[in-house]
Amino acid sequence: MTTLPDLPASGAKAGAAVAVPAASDARQAWRRLRGRRSAVVAAGVLGLLVVLALAAPLLAAVEGQDANTYHDALVDSARGGVPIGSFGGVSGDHWLGVEPGTGRDLFVRLLYGARVSLLVAAGATVVQVLIGVAVGLASGLGNRLLDAVLSRFTDVMIALPMLVLAIALTAVVPNDFPRPLLLILVIGLLDWGGTSRIVRAQTLTLKQLDFVAAARLAGSGRWRVARRELLPSLAAPVITYAAILLPMNMVLEASLSFLGVGVKPPTPSWGQMLSSAQTWFRADPMYVLLPAGLLFVTVLAFTVLGDAVRAALDPREAGRLRVGRRRTSRTPAAADPSKDISS
Amino acid sequence: MTRYLLKRLGGAVLVLLVLSVVIYGLFYLAPGDPARLACGERCSTQQVAQVREQLGLGDPVYTQYAHFLRGIVAGRDYSTGTALLHCDAPCLGFSYQTDQQVTSLILDRLPATLSLALGAMVIWLVIGVGTGLLSALRRGGITERALTVLTLAGTGTPVFILGLLLLMLVCAYLQWLPFPTYVPFTDDPEQWAWNMLLPWLTLGLFESAKYARLTRSSTLETLAEDHIRTFRAYGVGERAVVGRHALRGAVPPVIALSALDFGSVMGGAVLTESLFNIPGIGKSLIDGVREIDLPVVVGVVLVTGTAVVVANVVADLLYAAADRRVALL
Amino acid sequence: MRQPSVHSRRLAAAAVSLVLAAGAAACSGPQDNDAKASATDKGKPQKGGKLTVLNSEPQTDFDPARLYTSGGGNVPSLVFRTLTTRNRANGAAGTKVVPDLATDTGRPNADATEWTYTLKEGLEYEDGTPITSADIKYGVERSFAAELSGGAPYLRDWLVGGADYQGPYKDPKGLASIETPDDRTIVFKLRKPEGDFPFLATATQFAPVPKAKDDGAKYEEHPVSSGPYKVVKNEDDGRHLLLERNPNWSEKTDDQRHAYPDTIEVQSGLDSAVINQRLSTSSGPDAAAVTTDTNLGPAELAQIGSDKALAARVGTGHFGYTNYLAFNPKVKPFDDPKVRQAISYAINRTSVINAAGGSALAEPATTFLPDQKAFGYTPYDHFPAGPTGDPAKAKELLKEAGHADGLTISLTHSTAQNRETSPEVATAVQESLKQAGITVKLVGLEPNAFNEARWSATKSPGFYLSRWGADWPSGGPFLAPIFDGRQIVKDGSNFNHALFDDPAVNKEIDEINKLTDLAAAAERWGALDKKIGEQALDVPLFHPVYKRLYGKDVKNVVISDWTGVLDVSQVAVK
Repeated sequence: MTTLPDLPASGAKAGAAVAVPAASDARQAWRRLRGRRSAVVAAGVLGLLVVLALAAPLLAAVEGQDANTYHDALVDSARGGVPIGSFGGVSGDHWLGVEPGTGRDLFVRLLYGARVSLLVAAGATVVQVLIGVAVGLASGLGNRLLDAVLSRFTDVMIALPMLVLAIALTAVVPNDFPRPLLLILVIGLLDWGGTSRIVRAQTLTLKQLDFVAAARLAGSGRWRVARRELLPSLAAPVITYAAILLPMNMVLEASLSFLGVGVKPPTPSWGQMLSSAQTWFRADPMYVLLPAGLLFVTVLAFTVLGDAVRAALDPREAGRLRVGRRRTSRTPAAADPSKDISS
Repeated sequence: MTRYLLKRLGGAVLVLLVLSVVIYGLFYLAPGDPARLACGERCSTQQVAQVREQLGLGDPVYTQYAHFLRGIVAGRDYSTGTALLHCDAPCLGFSYQTDQQVTSLILDRLPATLSLALGAMVIWLVIGVGTGLLSALRRGGITERALTVLTLAGTGTPVFILGLLLLMLVCAYLQWLPFPTYVPFTDDPEQWAWNMLLPWLTLGLFESAKYARLTRSSTLETLAEDHIRTFRAYGVGERAVVGRHALRGAVPPVIALSALDFGSVMGGAVLTESLFNIPGIGKSLIDGVREIDLPVVVGVVLVTGTAVVVANVVADLLYAAADRRVALL
Repeated sequence: MRQPSVHSRRLAAAAVSLVLAAGAAACSGPQDNDAKASATDKGKPQKGGKLTVLNSEPQTDFDPARLYTSGGGNVPSLVFRTLTTRNRANGAAGTKVVPDLATDTGRPNADATEWTYTLKEGLEYEDGTPITSADIKYGVERSFAAELSGGAPYLRDWLVGGADYQGPYKDPKGLASIETPDDRTIVFKLRKPEGDFPFLATATQFAPVPKAKDDGAKYEEHPVSSGPYKVVKNEDDGRHLLLERNPNWSEKTDDQRHAYPDTIEVQSGLDSAVINQRLSTSSGPDAAAVTTDTNLGPAELAQIGSDKALAARVGTGHFGYTNYLAFNPKVKPFDDPKVRQAISYAINRTSVINAAGGSALAEPATTFLPDQKAFGYTPYDHFPAGPTGDPAKAKELLKEAGHADGLTISLTHSTAQNRETSPEVATAVQESLKQAGITVKLVGLEPNAFNEARWSATKSPGFYLSRWGADWPSGGPFLAPIFDGRQIVKDGSNFNHALFDDPAVNKEIDEINKLTDLAAAAERWGALDKKIGEQALDVPLFHPVYKRLYGKDVKNVVISDWTGVLDVSQVAVK
């Protein structure tokens, strides 16, 4: 069982496909990353976006608008509230036009929407990584019983249909709970299985290695070993995996908002804007194209950067492409090009 | 083989049980009163109470859940006050909203979802695999680069953005197709196909990116294998090498993944069905959630889960059948 | 949309050619050229053909006892004739009540507590058996049975002994307050004067039901028709209905229904976008299609604005309906009239109307009663906010009320996407109150939770979006449930949002109910509305306007102000 099919393969499933890179020298990886033009461009795009999102109040002030003020005079009330003027009401006052029905400024709303999208994606990734590392480490270092229980639990979590549960959870939680935080928690608490699997596998591998064994022989306790020896070695695979999770979480937030269960009005988010824009694709195409374009570019930039990070941290894998996949079974290498089938 | 299947099925049932408990619990906690919902806006308290009794909503949640499980195995009877309704096994209950049996509701929705899944699969196989092969065979060229960028863009794009852009292009700007409105195949096959074309393209292209990447990497892997090198060394024509051998390496994973994806889409492509108003299983799920129609949500989630679990097993079997180098454990 | 079959093996090429071929014929919406339709529009309506009704809400109930309709409903009225019915005429003329099965709209006694009807001669069911007054009495009685609940509450409230009657299954003796001295006469005895009784007699509960054919809850699967059509199929719990001509119905006894089409098919449970798309494309059977429950959305209106051919196929209607902001004065700070008045002044109705879909779909409201003469509409604007609100005046009032530093309140709304009580409207209210220094926190509830909250006498929120529609075009059913203190329901659905109980108002309601001169009654309802309005117990926001598409072949479109929707009994498709 997996997420719903028209979501990109969720992190958990893709996770199994990520070959675990060995710990490599961070400085070398950094140099490799900087050497990739696509990575630099993607990072640039994302950096710009983060700056724009952070500077949203400032930019709004420069434009002289805010996110929530209605401009009734700028929409044609008799025609369903379509913005007056070409390109969705673009003007010197409203650089990217206004929203149909309300006349709210789209430029500012898109900027504030970026804040929500980035915040939820990043926040959810942090939660996923924290839970995933904790469960994976406990599973990898614990006794057989603990490992069995946690592994089974992880399997079930991965098998649960994410979107459905997320929708259900957002409906159950009281209204006054802050929505962005709720989205972070829902995505984070439901989709940590992939991280946990990777961390467990890596831990089991590392446990056999000399330096860990040496540390244990020297009398370090199990958790001390985990903190001192294992965690640093886990950094590379976890960072790689987090880079894949980020765009997925962003898409998930957008999907939930698109289905009407994400952030609440008047807070803008890209997915929510797309949701209200979907009937306007004929009458006001700009209203659809702006959030769609931004979401597309952002997710693409994250994906490119994620691939580059992976390649930089694990040069052996550089020539290969990551494939999102769903895997709940022990299918021998089914749909897993990164595994050697013939072995 | 049998043991393997049994083990897999056991795991699947466990997952489905957990899933049903979680969903049941969540909706039990959800705000709002299903009895009032089922009764309607202007119902009196007495009427609501009556409905609550009829639906067994006054019982503790575990009792309700136990009744539900028994219904799946053995069927159950519902009282509506005047008449006794029987619901045959596998009984998933009655919708609060429409009083329709959930099983028949899902069966009603099945053709639309099946239509979507079949057409989309054709598209992802043709376009996805085609693109993947092309980029594997034209390695290092501008074609490969272009295709790599395209597929990379495709993997991350949310399906509703792809769908909206296609809608704008095909329906609004070029005016080639009307806005799709689902027509059942049995009503008018031709209209069915025309109205499904856009949803097929949307979901098909969305999935294609994944297949392109998969095909490309598995083809490259096969081409790098020793026996291919040997064939080449023996002077076997490039066409034959690619056609007979390299392709063969790409087929098993593509089949396996297709089976998985087909199962997932059969379980309901919520976003695609929502966007195009396809009255399929995914749409009934999101509607059920919005209307807090517990029996529908639980029923659909279980069916979704089952579809995916079955697809998983089928994928394994197909994979093994397609690639004799792999034996099932 | 005819497409050539394609034999090409090259899929890509095939796809392109298919798409191009589609373009030739399949262009939809705005570019549709229907000059033909406007030409045939002028032709006289003819009998024959098949009319399709595309609806979002399924006709889940088709038992005359369970239907809650205004004026007997649209599709139900094709099958069930009632004692009286609504006048099938355009606009205000359509708010009149006219005889249907009866020879007149009812003969009251001096204080309007007794109403006598005489049936027309020669009335028959679909099976040719005669319709008697006893069948009407039985039809009313069975609506008291618990298993057939769902109808309007008036019968139980008005008929002598109605409050305790359990229906004919439990109590076969029947209701003594309905007398049938002979086969053609029926007398209703009420426990209080009700000048509006002729309006109530349009409800499907006043349709005849032959006792011999009644099998309780299953009756709706094969109700016995007294109207021009009979039910041939009722599938999927009312999602698919097929009606065919009732050979025993005669135009001679029915001057209201035309019944032009031979068959009528109702497809419901459809998505509103789908309905509007099918009607705008209007191809094949959809050319003879209408909808009775689905408005055009704002984006669709924006599109239609530039397309004259399509705009000609939009029917505009007004149904007596008011969307308003309700106050519960038991909750602070809404106990202070100054706060309520300040909010009334601050409302920017232009924003609110845009949120409701724009001026084509909503008209500003300053009165609680709908702006129709039949309701007794008396214009007033006690707290003039102008089209965009008067935040300065609002701030002044707030200062007087001791909220000089502003005020924070919660607004409860529903998450349903109905553009009435939905987030869009709530956000517009929030924004306009912000201008007056009032911070509004939005509390969005799932539709059923929302209704539970707003119809609760004890737990209803202090400030919420609400709406009220007319059971019939008269001030009574509009004002009494909301402002009659004796109709406050402690445990159940309470519509008196302000828990308003003013002896003077209650007395006036009783006085007006005695009037059988509907015009005189309307005038007094209007005056009462104006008087209650001074208390600022609510902020009227807007009256919705219905904009509904119909297919190219649809003729004889009649939209009354009673229903606001095109009347299916008048439509012709030939």
